[in-house]
Amino acid sequence: MIAAVGAKTIGGVNNMGRFARFAWQSMAASFRTCVSPCTYSLVWTQMHTIGVRSVPVVMITGAFVGMTLAVQAYDQLAGMGLEEHLGVLINISVVKELGPVLAAVMLAGRIGGALTAELGTMNVTEQIDAVRSMGTDPIRYLAAPRVLACLLLTPFLIIFADLMGIVGGYFVSVVQLGINSRAYWSFSASGVELWDVAIGVIKGFFFGVALAAISCYKGFTCKEGARGVGQACTEAFVASFISILALDFALAVIFKSIYNTFWPMKSLVG
Amino acid sequence: MDERTERKVKQHNEKDGGQGSRNDSVIVLQSVTKRFGANVVLDNISLAIEKGKTTVVIGPSGCGKTVLIKHLIILLRPNSGEIYYKNRRIDNLGESELNKVRTHYGFLFQGGALFDSLNVTENIIFPIRQHCEITDWAQVEDLVKTKLAMVGLDGFQNYYPANLSGGQRKRVALARAIALNPEVILYDEPTTGLDPIHADVINELILKLKRELGVTSVVVTHDMTSAYKVADRIIMLHNGKIIADGDADHIRNHPHPTVQQFIHGQVGEDDLAVLRMSGTVSQAQFLPRDFQ
Repeated sequence: MIAAVGAKTIGGVNNMGRFARFAWQSMAASFRTCVSPCTYSLVWTQMHTIGVRSVPVVMITGAFVGMTLAVQAYDQLAGMGLEEHLGVLINISVVKELGPVLAAVMLAGRIGGALTAELGTMNVTEQIDAVRSMGTDPIRYLAAPRVLACLLLTPFLIIFADLMGIVGGYFVSVVQLGINSRAYWSFSASGVELWDVAIGVIKGFFFGVALAAISCYKGFTCKEGARGVGQACTEAFVASFISILALDFALAVIFKSIYNTFWPMKSLVG
Repeated sequence: MDERTERKVKQHNEKDGGQGSRNDSVIVLQSVTKRFGANVVLDNISLAIEKGKTTVVIGPSGCGKTVLIKHLIILLRPNSGEIYYKNRRIDNLGESELNKVRTHYGFLFQGGALFDSLNVTENIIFPIRQHCEITDWAQVEDLVKTKLAMVGLDGFQNYYPANLSGGQRKRVALARAIALNPEVILYDEPTTGLDPIHADVINELILKLKRELGVTSVVVTHDMTSAYKVADRIIMLHNGKIIADGDADHIRNHPHPTVQQFIHGQVGEDDLAVLRMSGTVSQAQFLPRDFQ
C-alpha cells in the first residue's frame, strides 16, 4: 500500500512538473508570438473562435447571474427596508466575483473542452508529431496562439458578463420588483468603485491563461483513442474549474491586502 | 532455435548482412535502447542508414518499428545510446536546434497526419511558411502544383483531407513531406490500409522520389511485396533487436525461423496452440440461446 501511495505521489509530482514546464514554455512562446507579426494570423483565428463566438453564452450567463441575485436578495433587504440598496449588492457581487468566476467557468466548459478535444485529436492522429517533424515547435504553433487569445479576450468577455449582469439585475429590481430607478443607480454608484471593476477584469487575465494552459496541456498529453480524448476533456474541465476557484481565492486575498495597504493613501492622492 | 540453426544464422549474417559503414551513412544509431516502463522496445540497436539508399525495416506489429523510425528524427529520445545525423550527434540537442535538423527530413506518417483544418495547398505550404519568407505567392502556387503533380494529384489543391480517400491522403502527405526538398524521407507504414493497386502507386512513388531526388529513404512496413519492391536493404526487428540485415535475397534465404515465418506470413506454433486451446466456435457460448 505504501508503494502504491508513493508511486501515486511521484506520478502526481511528475505531472505537476511537466505541466509547469509546459505552462512556462507556452508563456515564453506567447511572448515570442507577440513580437513576431507573421504569426498574428494564427492568433486572430483563435481570437475569433475563442472570443467572438463565446460572447452570446457569456452574456446569457451574466444576465442570469444578475437576475438571480436580485430575486434572491430582495426579500432580505426589503425586510429591513433597505431594498433600494439592492443595486450595490448585485453590482458589487457581479463585477467583483460572480461575473468573472462564472464567465470563466462557462469559458472553461465551452473553450477548454473544445481546445482539449481539438489538440487531443491532433495528438492521437499524429498531427502534433507532424508539426514537430517539419521543424516547427508545436507549442509555439498550436498552444501559444490559444493561450494568447484566452489571455487577451477573457477580460473582455468578463466585461460583457458584468454588463449583462448589471442589466439583468436592474431589469428584475426596477422593472419587476418596482425599486426606484434613481435610488438604485445612486446607491450602486456610491457602493461600487472602479477598483472593484478592475479586480474582476484583472482576474480575467489569470483565469484565461490558466484555462488555456490546462486545456492545451491535456490535449498535448492525451492518451490514444476516443476514450483518451474524452477523458482528457473531462480532466481539463475539472482542473480548469478548480484552478479558477483556487485562483479566485488567492487573488481575492492578494487584492484585499493591496487595497488595505493603499487605501489610506487614497485621501492623500484625491 | 536449436544450436545448428543458430550457427547457420550467424554464418548467414556474416556473409551478407551488416550495419553499413559509418562513412557513407546519413544517420547512425549507436547502442540505442528505448524502454516504456518495464517494456524494452529497442534493445541496444546499432544501425547505419546509407546515403541515397532505401532501407526497409520489417517486423511484426508492436515490435518497435515505428519507435525506431521516430528515433531517427528524434520525435522520441533514447534512454541510452547515441544518434548521429551526418556525423553530428543529435539525440542530445535542444528542441530549437533539432528543429533546424528536422528540416532536412520528410516524414510520411501512417495515417498521413494531414491537418484537417487546412486544405491540400495549405498543408503542402505549411513547412515552407514555417521556414521560408514567402514573397512571391505565384511561385509558391507553382511549387504546390509541381509537388502535387509528382504524386499524381494536381488539381486537388482546394480539397480538404476529409474529402480525400486514404490513398490520396497519403500522396498529399508525401507531397508535403517533400515540400522542403529533404535529404532523408521516413515512411511509416506507407501502404497499410490501401488496396494492392494504390499500395503499388505508393511503392512507385517511393522509387520515383529516390530516382529523381536522390533521397535517402527509410521505410517501415510489414508488407513484404512493398519491401521487396523498394528496398536496397532490409532489416528485420524482433523483440527489440535486429535479427536480419541484408538485401532482399539475403532476407529471402535467411535461415532464422522467425524471419522465414514472417516473410511467408505463417502463423507460429505458439499462436496455433492458443487457438486450439480456445475451443471451437460452436463451443463458444457468448450469448444465451434465447438472445434476441
